[in-house]
Amino acid sequence: MPEPYTGPLERIDETRWRIPKSYKEGMRVDGIIYADDILIEAVKQDKSPDQVANVAHLPGIVKYSLAMPDIHWGYGFCIGGVAATDPKQGGVISPGGVGYDINCGVRLLSTNIRLEDAQPRMERLVETLFKTVPCGVGRGGIIKFGKKELQRLMTDGSPYVVNKGYGWDGDIEATEAGGCINDARPDFLSNRALERGFDQCGTLGSGNHFIEVQLIEHIDNPQAAKAMGLTEGNISVMIHSGSRGLGYQVCDDAIKELRNIPRKYGIDLPDKQLVCAPVESPEGQRYLGAMGAAANYAWANRQILTHLARQAFAEVFGQPAERLGMSLIYDVAHNIAKMEPYDVGGKQTELCVHRKGATRAFPPGHPELPDRYKSIGQPVLVPGDMGRSSYVLVGRPGAMEHTFGSCCHGAGRRLSRGAAIRAAKGRSIRRELLDRGVIAKARGRTGLDEEQPDAYKDVLQVVDVLHAADISHRVARLRPVGVIKG
Amino acid sequence: MEPAYELFDHTADMGIRVRAATLPELLAPAGEGLYSVIGNVVAGEEAGPAGFDLTGRESAELLRDYLAELLILLERNHRVVTAVDPSIYTEHRLAVTVQTGRLDGKRSSLLREVKAITYHELDIRLIPGGYEATLIVDI
Repeated sequence: MPEPYTGPLERIDETRWRIPKSYKEGMRVDGIIYADDILIEAVKQDKSPDQVANVAHLPGIVKYSLAMPDIHWGYGFCIGGVAATDPKQGGVISPGGVGYDINCGVRLLSTNIRLEDAQPRMERLVETLFKTVPCGVGRGGIIKFGKKELQRLMTDGSPYVVNKGYGWDGDIEATEAGGCINDARPDFLSNRALERGFDQCGTLGSGNHFIEVQLIEHIDNPQAAKAMGLTEGNISVMIHSGSRGLGYQVCDDAIKELRNIPRKYGIDLPDKQLVCAPVESPEGQRYLGAMGAAANYAWANRQILTHLARQAFAEVFGQPAERLGMSLIYDVAHNIAKMEPYDVGGKQTELCVHRKGATRAFPPGHPELPDRYKSIGQPVLVPGDMGRSSYVLVGRPGAMEHTFGSCCHGAGRRLSRGAAIRAAKGRSIRRELLDRGVIAKARGRTGLDEEQPDAYKDVLQVVDVLHAADISHRVARLRPVGVIKG
Repeated sequence: MEPAYELFDHTADMGIRVRAATLPELLAPAGEGLYSVIGNVVAGEEAGPAGFDLTGRESAELLRDYLAELLILLERNHRVVTAVDPSIYTEHRLAVTVQTGRLDGKRSSLLREVKAITYHELDIRLIPGGYEATLIVDI
């Protein structure tokens, strides 16, 4: 069992708690955790607040080290961690602030299919998705890319695979950053990273990655829902995956390569998993270039998964995906570092924003948003668990003011994998899900046990904190009705 | 002390704790621990030896690097280590030859995808009668 946090947590208001920079020598800014009275008690049960404090040591960190309400213990950064650094002030980039699964993220597709029309075919739909989408440990992709094609894919991201026929034009506009980080450098990847990724583009993976068929059960914000094409009573498709073995290896390589770099630049760190390099240093640029390539790979991966999901739906419903209204509502990254401009002391400043288990949440009017979302704000996709709900939110102005345009990324785990398996002993999670109206299929024997609903916090509690803080507002509640997992 | 491993809980991931009388004896149970995180990993027909010559800053990092090699050997080459023969395991160098078998797809069940062997809480410490190593794997 992890040791509980015993350091200071000062209440700022109903949704925020401060770890003062006086807590640890070397902290450059305060830590701030978003949580309500109930969530904060769970937060104290492990050392994740210490990780928030550790991140506050990073050179060039601006304003504060943040944690979203789905915070839990991670490596270096906590999960749910957000930190922005100013490159002009010696600000650093840290691979631990992105995580192993670079550009792990979520996308949501609409459909015009009513639940009552889908229900009789749900079992077949789940089977067909399971058969069509490669998932589970060691499964290679159906669509193969040669070495040169892979280089192009990592340079151009999802537009590359859309141009190859694995998507629709509108998909690109509905993807964060247009599905492509500029200045990606596939040539910075190790052979091992390329080997791990060469046949995995278009695969779901395992663990907490999934494709879910979700009922749009309740609309909180009709105007935003309309702009997104969300209709109560229709089904939608949520896809959660990342950069697969390629991204894992990019992170692994970077942590190893950067081990001695803090010393080179005179940076003192409280945790070696926070290894970092100044953004403007050759080492920092090298990681950012490699991370960009892995991020582009992840967007291409989710794009191909989208193509395969559309194929499965077309097969089951006997109509082309276009007729089924399977447009991409949005795609968000939740493990990434990006250069973004923010107001710092009245001056627009380009910052390196780390989001490790946190989602971008730009407000209405932000120039990066597609026209159709300019008036409502960026769609934010927050998966919950496979038995209860997921949420669609929109970014609010408070996000720009307080969280570097960021909000939560999920419910956050409550039980370890071992505890979840022990809790599932003598039960059939598949049967329990069925009783809740969810048809679930997983490749691994323990997959459903480890990912059972009880293993996660209640996502509503998490999104409500950010709703109350005006970081993001609820648009719609989605309820899973069909699940595939690796 | 009999070489042995145990798995322990870590919020979203899993930990491996390994004990042995000597540093080189940590390698075999550490590999078994990694395989048991992944699932039921069974070796089939012989696939020949593989060698790793690793250098690092400390023995715990070398153990992490060794498991990272085993992960790649399994993931990319579908080979499972069946015997371990370390020739050097010091603070800064690990040279080891392993015997491998082909992953037996029929008898194996791979349940979890290990993303990486992390540096989080990575440690080897002296305990009465030998060494204890702690590793956490990202799933």
